[in-house]
Amino acid sequence: MSSIMLALPSKGRMQDDAMAVFADAGLPIARPGGARSYVGELHAMPDVTVRFLSASEIARELIRGSIDIGITGEDLVHESAETGPDQVEIVKRLGFGRADVVVAVPDAWVDVTAMDDLSDVAADFRARHGRWLKVATKYVNLTRRHFARFGIAEYRIVESLGATEAAPASGAADLIVDITTTGSTLQANGLRILEDGVMLKSEAVLMVARNADWDTHRTAILNALLNKLGASR
Amino acid sequence: MTADTRREALKNLVSTDGISFAATPILIGPAPYFDLAGEEFGSRLILTIGADGSEFCLRPDFTLPIAIEHLKSGASTPAAYGYLGPIFRQRTDGPAEFDQAGLELLALPDSDAALDRVIGFARAALDIYGIASPAIRVGSIDLFEAFLASCDMPDVWRPRIRARFGHPRAMTRLLDRLADPHKPMEGPKGIPQQGIADWVSELMLTNGLSLTESRGPDEIARRYLEKQALEAAHVPSHTIDLLRTYLAISGDTDQALSAIAELAERGGFALSGAIEDAAASVAQLRNSGRLSGLVFDAGFSPRLDYYTGITFEMTGKDGAVLVSGGQYDRLLKRLGAETEIPAVGCAVWVERLEASCGAGEAGQ
Repeated sequence: MSSIMLALPSKGRMQDDAMAVFADAGLPIARPGGARSYVGELHAMPDVTVRFLSASEIARELIRGSIDIGITGEDLVHESAETGPDQVEIVKRLGFGRADVVVAVPDAWVDVTAMDDLSDVAADFRARHGRWLKVATKYVNLTRRHFARFGIAEYRIVESLGATEAAPASGAADLIVDITTTGSTLQANGLRILEDGVMLKSEAVLMVARNADWDTHRTAILNALLNKLGASR
Repeated sequence: MTADTRREALKNLVSTDGISFAATPILIGPAPYFDLAGEEFGSRLILTIGADGSEFCLRPDFTLPIAIEHLKSGASTPAAYGYLGPIFRQRTDGPAEFDQAGLELLALPDSDAALDRVIGFARAALDIYGIASPAIRVGSIDLFEAFLASCDMPDVWRPRIRARFGHPRAMTRLLDRLADPHKPMEGPKGIPQQGIADWVSELMLTNGLSLTESRGPDEIARRYLEKQALEAAHVPSHTIDLLRTYLAISGDTDQALSAIAELAERGGFALSGAIEDAAASVAQLRNSGRLSGLVFDAGFSPRLDYYTGITFEMTGKDGAVLVSGGQYDRLLKRLGAETEIPAVGCAVWVERLEASCGAGEAGQ
């Protein structure tokens, strides 16, 4: 008997909201091992195996095709691999876990309000300072793509895995790309989002792995599940 | 000849008398690539991390390791380097390994003779694979720089336009923006530069920013005023027309170069010597390379600011680049030499030559 593997976030608000998506569709997910267990059961559809994984692991495994369908933040799919978004199919946008990936500069850069300004600053920067403009972020792929779209090549990424908003003050970078919901952390750190600095409006999404092995039987299970969730391919 | 004997012939070409065959390591530090080529090229590197956290990349080309090694022997010592071996780059469809061969001539006193030798090498490599007449695109960095220097515009824009040469999309975007400038920036007007700098420096100190490590108050104030003044002192529309026309010139080399000369005349300036230099390099390609059907593409350049002079690219029937080369007199200085040192080189893509060779035979 073949089955398909569904992965849901294993903690926090995102887990609760993801569980609710299934409950609301009449597909409640039980956790026979208790709330800390990483195994779930979808009684209404025994052909669907349920696992709880970290949000970034879900993105990575969906891209590889080692899980079949899952819920995670869209931003994580962009970051797990450069061509990650091409390896998955978003079948439903879920409206929770909303956050924007943005470009923010020190508020004191009063001359820089848009990406075009940054483009000029980047072009001048090395001649003035003897080094490239430095951008702190964990969103390497999104940053490269967004900067390329605005024709900016003269910069370096400094990878930052936490407290990115502190990078300009600590001297680690000149500006940042980070995720924000309200912008208040950025503001508190004297940073300002550029007018056209929103790279991605991310939210939780239900995604199907393109790289999984979709034989007829498994496709039928998937379609039945998607149908009940009101999702479409 | 078989593929192996052709590769052997290529190996002889890059390790013959007077050429030191460079066996650069495959596993190297990525920093010079990021420093010279930035994030865009950096994304094409195949990176790995050592147990102690140090970063490495798989060699993405030979030119840079050869130039770095050359500096150790003294930047101004004339030297000829040949190479043949695998290079590694990320492609959208996955990491890939390519065989590359090439010749790099550094610090040779006669740069025309050096260019001749590189073109001769390209010709000999094409001959090994039986490719008589590839499509050839030629560009000149010097010519564009001379043109840009003569165009009428506020000086602050010249380096920004130069920085986008070789990147058509970024260049188009910048010229479009200059043709239709932003609305004047909102915010206080009529403040003297010092007043703005004081305001900026207060903001920086409030937010815990260093006044010296990144953009400083004066730099920001100057650009703030520059932006406000853009309405009054923007790049004149006739200059933007000249640049757009220049960048669109592409075609038969003689016609293209005379079109550029006419364009300069229209702009009211002369490109003293630069056109003649470009024409001489084109003639070298034609004669020393026994190449015909050259196309001069005025906007063609690698987007690396250490290239100078002439640059060329030869493509096969399917449009794949077989040979690319050019002059890069600024590289050794970028890497730490005291002055610019003449440098010219060219690389050939072995698998693509081989594929074109097979196609040629099948067609006969």
